[in-house]
Amino acid sequence: MQKYDVCIVGAGPGGSMTARAAAQAGLNTVFLERSQKVGEKNASGCGLGQHWWRDFPEIMEQVERLPSFREITHCFFKVTDEDDRLITSLGTGWTKLDDDRIVYKGKGRGMTGCSIYRCDLDPLLADMACDAGAELRTSTLVTDVIKDNGRVKGVVTDKGEKIAADIVIAADGAHSTIAIKSGIRKRFAKKDITLVPQFDFSADPAKMDDVIGAAEQVWFGPFCAAYQVNFHDGFHLGAGQWLDIWSGKRPVELLTPILKIPAFQAMCRAMDARMREFQVHLLPWMPHPSNAGKTYGDGVLLVGDAGGFPCPLEAEGVWHACVTGKIAAEVAAQAISTGNPSRDFLKEYERRWEESSIGEEYHFGKQFVGLWRATAFDPVFMKTMGRFIGEMQSLAFPGPVFDWSTSHMQAINDHLGHFLSLLPQMSAVVPHIKPLGRGISDANRATITELIVGSIKKKVPIIPTFVTRPLVRKMLGKAGRP
Amino acid sequence: MMSDVKNMSNFKLKDLIFRNDVDPGDFITYHEQKCNGCGACATICPVNLWSMSQARGGKARLTSKYKELCMECAGCYAMCETDAIDFRYPNSGAGIIIKHG
Repeated sequence: MQKYDVCIVGAGPGGSMTARAAAQAGLNTVFLERSQKVGEKNASGCGLGQHWWRDFPEIMEQVERLPSFREITHCFFKVTDEDDRLITSLGTGWTKLDDDRIVYKGKGRGMTGCSIYRCDLDPLLADMACDAGAELRTSTLVTDVIKDNGRVKGVVTDKGEKIAADIVIAADGAHSTIAIKSGIRKRFAKKDITLVPQFDFSADPAKMDDVIGAAEQVWFGPFCAAYQVNFHDGFHLGAGQWLDIWSGKRPVELLTPILKIPAFQAMCRAMDARMREFQVHLLPWMPHPSNAGKTYGDGVLLVGDAGGFPCPLEAEGVWHACVTGKIAAEVAAQAISTGNPSRDFLKEYERRWEESSIGEEYHFGKQFVGLWRATAFDPVFMKTMGRFIGEMQSLAFPGPVFDWSTSHMQAINDHLGHFLSLLPQMSAVVPHIKPLGRGISDANRATITELIVGSIKKKVPIIPTFVTRPLVRKMLGKAGRP
Repeated sequence: MMSDVKNMSNFKLKDLIFRNDVDPGDFITYHEQKCNGCGACATICPVNLWSMSQARGGKARLTSKYKELCMECAGCYAMCETDAIDFRYPNSGAGIIIKHG
């Protein structure tokens, strides 16, 4: 039986980043992939967020050169109604202030992410792990763990081969054999996991540059929501739903309503888009990984989807897998150097990721997941939501300027009336949005306080600011963010 | 130009799914006695591997062709509340190939 310091199960981004960091730390490392070729079992979005330029800039420089790379600086929401008419488009912003939050080699990257096909990204990351000295074994399915006195000591393949290791790291995705067989958790509860069907389309790259540019899109309507991730020469159209609230629909029926939208069809015609592939995968989506249990066991660590790490707000998972993979490798190296891969020592992993930029993502996880479940994933609510967004845009610039149906002030009042009439139905989101106020920083709170205090002073000069300031501070409350 | 979007209403899922010809082994094990007939597996399966069988007292039935059709999402396993479905991935190197994932 071959023996390694660490055995990593899975060669997706999480597995490869773990393997690379483990090999760099001097550990004798093997990582196992069930498919013949790395990157041919994976159907994720796949978008890499701006934080990649902060955390893995040297990898991004290589990602930029991959064939399917598309730089992303914007996201547009296409809102449609029950007659498939386009109600409005909402877009993200882009300012120099925001851009400069992440600067790499003199260039602002704070608003710049990218999309990349997993069939491009995964082999790149696996190659980097191999270059660092890790051993990759493809066509190797793990079906069980080797246990000794409750501690995991290795894995067993479908061919009966045993591979021993001081620490096993599970990077084997949502349906993690390692997590289940080692007894850390059962399969994810239905409320903590979504099923995501997705169409891949081919498209003319030059026409995509003209029609879409550096943007992702989200289709929003009575059908709920569907993301459109745009690559160099194609795009993914996908949608998900939690299993506990899955309606009687077939998975493909989450997507067929978008195919009928004239604006979607026009976009497809304009860039010669053709359906190329149908894919489906399970995606963990929960308020906090602890919802599913521990992310470590005796001799085992869980990274990425296997640990339930995807972002509670937009379910991005690749970055989370890479960051947790790096932390897992560091903790594994420590455990091995001290000769103590016990459950008690590996607990350190949970403490480390909780304190990292990953852990910070879950502070409002409950509100984020709750907000989605009550809104974008509820078809009844989404009917009203579309109208609400429409009225909101009719009131916001440039809506009122271009409404010539009647006198302008009358038009504004018509829209305001409709907007107000929809407000009671929108109240379901208030309990999810209100607690997010706790996330406003002390510095921003202080600025808001001074704006209000200054405004009161201007209108009612007789009340001194030493009276109003403490009152406003009390009204705004304290930042609840740790 | 309309023909470019035509396949959006006439597509067949099987034309959009790819796999190799390595033997995947028996990777779904169905315990019919545990099935409570809820039909969740039949609803969630993207490629209709499960059907509800009147002949079997309203219990689920797994098509004998599942090895050639399964998309390996494990949705049926995730949905089944009575543990009637065991799912492990197909054998090493076998099964579905996602070309543009």
